[in-house]
Amino acid sequence: MSVNAPRSIDEYLKQLRSALSGEDAALIQDALYDAEEYLRAEVAAHPDRSEADVLELIASTYGAPEEVAAAYRDTEAKVKAALKPPAPPAAAQAGGLQRFFGVFMDVRAYTSLFYMLLTLATGIAYFTIVVTGLSLSVGFAILIIGIPFFLAFIGVTRVIALGEGRLLEAVTGERMPRRPVHPGPPASWLTRIADMLKDVRTWTTLLYMLLMLPLGIIYFTIAVTVLSVGVALAVMPLVAVAAHLGWAANATLFSDDASIGSFVLAEHSLLAALVLGVLGVLVVTLLMHLARGIARGHARLAKSLLVAPGA
Amino acid sequence: MDDSQARKFQKDLNAGLVALVLLAVLERSTEDLYGYEIAKRLQRANQGEALFKEGTIYPVLRALAAAGLLTSRVVPSYAGPARRYYRITEEGRAMLRQWSDIWRQTRSFVDRFIEGTDS
Repeated sequence: MSVNAPRSIDEYLKQLRSALSGEDAALIQDALYDAEEYLRAEVAAHPDRSEADVLELIASTYGAPEEVAAAYRDTEAKVKAALKPPAPPAAAQAGGLQRFFGVFMDVRAYTSLFYMLLTLATGIAYFTIVVTGLSLSVGFAILIIGIPFFLAFIGVTRVIALGEGRLLEAVTGERMPRRPVHPGPPASWLTRIADMLKDVRTWTTLLYMLLMLPLGIIYFTIAVTVLSVGVALAVMPLVAVAAHLGWAANATLFSDDASIGSFVLAEHSLLAALVLGVLGVLVVTLLMHLARGIARGHARLAKSLLVAPGA
Repeated sequence: MDDSQARKFQKDLNAGLVALVLLAVLERSTEDLYGYEIAKRLQRANQGEALFKEGTIYPVLRALAAAGLLTSRVVPSYAGPARRYYRITEEGRAMLRQWSDIWRQTRSFVDRFIEGTDS
């Protein structure tokens, strides 16, 4: 093709990477993965020829790096358009009030809230896996099973990283890898371990999994606290109406001490209950916005720690 | 006249046809296939100049899977990265029937003018 046609798989992947530079890191990871699958299979299918000879023909079969890059760009643009959930109706030209409450029409706000609740469970699981895996790896290091155990442990963290990425893409729409990172050409175990130890992503993945415990606790607490306060306030008018009609006049729900509930009942003030109700709706709406923002920020954090930088 | 015009025409044609061909290949296959295998089947079936670069089928496979027309599973491989095997779904079969009808109609319509059977 051009003067500097790739002479090896690594060179091809390097050129493909630079042809895709500026694209989403996750898209690049997928494209490199696909190309590597093909190129290695092609080289393996021609054991009589050298890698350079096989690569010479690649431009006419698989396509030159620039052509392949263009194909991924085109398809990605189409898939993104097709898979993107429709924008919340009238969000663009809606006024501030409409946009504020429009969050209830946004699927992602609900999925984000769900994700915040889920992080407590996943956070505990990830943290436990990392702490157990690391300490067992250190403990086993003096035994022969230390090396395979460490490899398996890192493998598990990569699978988890991929799964977490898929989950976050579903929740927030942030593009995440759809393929695992390829471990590279077959090599001896010692080289593999050395590569893993040198790979910054190995450590940032572990860091992310550790971080998930405190973050999960914070997210879960925010979601549960704000949601219960908001909902409790929002139903206040109903309680007041019920009390007014005598349905809950002696409701044991509220004791005589100075809680908000007994205040409403004591004063029989529908107005106060209404104000509290509006406040509750505002709190829940703000929570939806907050959840969406937190999930989006968290997805970015996850991407910076789980996806190879500049890949 | 250089052949860049011809290549562009071929590329425009391929935009939808590659997806149709991939669905057809997977529907006829009795087993799951991975990207490289599919690429080689197409290459064997194709005489002369390749109609499309094999590298372009991978993103289309991913798009079809994302649309629910294919399912996939990953199988480890000695030759390189783990391979992703694809299988057509019921939805994919229905889509293939529909697309095949459209293709037949289009083909006979175009032929009517190119072959001059309609005058």
